[in-house]
Amino acid sequence: MFQNRAEALALALPAALFAAAVFIAPVVILLSDGFRAPGGGWTISAYTEFFSSSLNQAVFLRTLKLGVLVTIVAAVIGYAAAFAIVSLEPGKKGKVTGLIVLPLMISPVARTYAWIVILGRTGIVNQAFQALGISEAPLRILFSETAIFIGLLQLFLPLMIISLISALENMPKDAIPAARVLGANWFQVFWKVILPLTKEGVVIGGTLVFTGCLTAYITPAILGGSKVLMLETLLYQQVTVSNNFVAASVIALILIVMSFAANILLKRVATARNKTMRNTKGTAQ
Amino acid sequence: MSDPNFLTLENLTLAYGDTVAVKDLNLTIGKGELVAFLGPSGCGKTTTMRAIAGLLSPASGHVKLDGADITRVSANKRNVGLMFQSYALFPHLSVYENVAFGLRLKKTPAAELDKRVRAGITSVGLSDYADRKPGELSGGQQQRVALARSMVMEPKVLLLDEPLSNLDARLRLDMRSELQRVQKETGVTMIFVTHDQGEALSLADRIVVMKRGAIEQIGSPEDIYNRPTSAFVADFVGFENIFELSDGRLKTPKGPVELSGPVPIAAGLAWRPRMVTLGSGPFQGTVRGASFAGNSREYLLDTPLGPIKAEVDAALPPHELGAELAFDLPVGTAAQLSTFG
Amino acid sequence: MMARNLFIPITLGLVITFLIGPFLIIVAASFSAGETLAFPPQGFSLRWIAKVFTVESFRDSFYMSMFLAIGGTLAALILGIPASYALSRYKLPGAETIRTIVSAPIIVPGIIVGLSLLRYIVVPFQVGITLALFLAHTALILPYAVRVVSASLGNLRSDIEEAAVLLGSSRLGAFFRVVLPNIRGGIMSAFILGFVTSFNQVPVSLFLSGPGVRTLPVDMIAYMEIVFDPSVAALSALLAFMSIGIVFLAERFLGFSRYV
Repeated sequence: MFQNRAEALALALPAALFAAAVFIAPVVILLSDGFRAPGGGWTISAYTEFFSSSLNQAVFLRTLKLGVLVTIVAAVIGYAAAFAIVSLEPGKKGKVTGLIVLPLMISPVARTYAWIVILGRTGIVNQAFQALGISEAPLRILFSETAIFIGLLQLFLPLMIISLISALENMPKDAIPAARVLGANWFQVFWKVILPLTKEGVVIGGTLVFTGCLTAYITPAILGGSKVLMLETLLYQQVTVSNNFVAASVIALILIVMSFAANILLKRVATARNKTMRNTKGTAQ
Repeated sequence: MSDPNFLTLENLTLAYGDTVAVKDLNLTIGKGELVAFLGPSGCGKTTTMRAIAGLLSPASGHVKLDGADITRVSANKRNVGLMFQSYALFPHLSVYENVAFGLRLKKTPAAELDKRVRAGITSVGLSDYADRKPGELSGGQQQRVALARSMVMEPKVLLLDEPLSNLDARLRLDMRSELQRVQKETGVTMIFVTHDQGEALSLADRIVVMKRGAIEQIGSPEDIYNRPTSAFVADFVGFENIFELSDGRLKTPKGPVELSGPVPIAAGLAWRPRMVTLGSGPFQGTVRGASFAGNSREYLLDTPLGPIKAEVDAALPPHELGAELAFDLPVGTAAQLSTFG
Repeated sequence: MMARNLFIPITLGLVITFLIGPFLIIVAASFSAGETLAFPPQGFSLRWIAKVFTVESFRDSFYMSMFLAIGGTLAALILGIPASYALSRYKLPGAETIRTIVSAPIIVPGIIVGLSLLRYIVVPFQVGITLALFLAHTALILPYAVRVVSASLGNLRSDIEEAAVLLGSSRLGAFFRVVLPNIRGGIMSAFILGFVTSFNQVPVSLFLSGPGVRTLPVDMIAYMEIVFDPSVAALSALLAFMSIGIVFLAERFLGFSRYV
């Protein structure tokens, strides 16, 4: 550790000032727009107005719902996949992990675009359904919540899997056999041993997936179209179609608050579990 | 010893931010001396060493080396070598390039550089490893590279931070003789920092015992080992039975105790376990613990003076736990402490 | 044990199909001979891949995206390396605040970054769109640069700098002689991560487009809204192979994943 304060500041300040000027200042001003009263002074009327519209309510709830749903489904699939991957032999493990990470390197435009081919009116799914006689006319899967859900899940599942892989790898090796020897069934092993020991991984993965869903633009834009909006696409519409910058500011703050709230909530859930664990340990002794 | 005032520290005060680590320290080291800074962690020994190297500039006071005041001379211009505890080898450079690093900076002519680097590497017995990277060497080999890297610069002073503490017992012996060889061959002034009294006693010409940022005692290994002047030093070098004196009597938890024989004027007296006479004497104790240590047996006695540790020849018949024994603390052999606390 | 033996391959098979399958379909569709995007592809031709190279706006926006990805990443590294160094090697007052400020752009949705930049930098200061894009992408990459470079500085002992100084090097010299060579892998990884992030970034660039100034992904979305032919599929596939190729080489030669 070096002591020279001036030297340290000279090194760190350019980056900090740059981020503050180019990023923090404009964002803070933008967020404050939502509280500005037309005649001067401050008000929250923009927020009450925003939430009084049933369309906005629907978009807000849809965003929340899709975020939560994608996070939960990603966690469930993520556990299965991560568990399968860590039980592979080392050489294979690296290759499979590589395949899981690979999509993260591909442009989200390309990744989302593929779903049009798959879910579209003449897409593979509809072809299959019709060939199998499940449906007569092509189903409308595209431009629906289902399409957005699938797109977001595919986009962010790798983040959850990676977080869980490292959490499972950091778990004490003997924990699962120990629980089995003590008579736990697989469900109990998961609930009482694996989940508590890997909760940090779920929290990190969950935060990444949930914030990812909130901030994704391309997926709802392409797979939801102009009717099935999420907060991001609504914000874009408010700016480009209605020129309503106050509404944009309101949505921006809602998005930021949502991602912070998710982060705090998930951390809280993790530590609460910790506490009950410590308590039971205390009484057992 | 040509220059007895080769390195002097005058009223040196060192601080990290607002925390004073070393206060008003004065010390003189002669040319070619091998000095140990001995003390527990946090005593300021490493801080003092860093100040001599120039890695830390003093809050006040002066460092003088070879007749010049170097207090404000920056670390890269002092020609003081430091062998780090972690060795601090450059991981991206080969052994050869590590050793050549300083000479290249000094723009040493190629032929001379090569000669000196090869000589340096050979002298520490690593000529077969010149092209290896530090990561491919054992800990002991890495340390010898670090030694060669410092010595090839022909430093005025070589500082060594805990030079033996990372090594296993056998390598310790190797390194100890290596350091003695280097000192004998080059006559370089060496200062090493250690928390291990055994290291200091076996290697140094002179030992500086430090405590909480100040010098507690300076002396030869014999002085420090046999004649500690404070309770702290006595404790540090293995005097287990240490008492404060007041009015010629030992202060004990159960009140003052008279000793047999004339008591010197001192702040305290201290006895090593093997200085305690067991089997005869004015005091009585109960054996609470006994352990066999090869050549000797150690006993822990419960006595009116408090717990006493005694050590006797293993050839003598052992005492049972709970046995009542007479013992004496002979005044004649006791170390006389001039300060207590 | 039969159930477990099947569990692993079935789970992994499904997950990988879900994650990679769509990409393979895109690749297949881009070889189609048909007029519209469809799978299975109608016939085989290279016409859509060839067409990608003839669409002028693709070429311009490709150059723009390249410029932003390379320039923005370099700028982020120039700002980020000293900052990471200060944060990891100095006892710095307000270090946490600085770390938070520097990594903030990763937390806030990109679309908000783009919009606020448009409203409060581009318009009031009459900043050109290209410059605004450059600033935005630099800010966006900065958190990644700081994180990756910090991680690689964290793996490097700091006393080697003191050792270099005691051997006669200046502080700055010590940085270039012993720090930089040892964090080269981390810097390269940061560069690649920054490049890929910037190149694939859409929301930040969404509002920052002007006549003839657009990033490639934004241009692709605009094109898709008008023409629904397989050329976007072909372009997507080409870009994906570019990204994968870069990352593959990086992993091969740098052990990229150690830093990310």
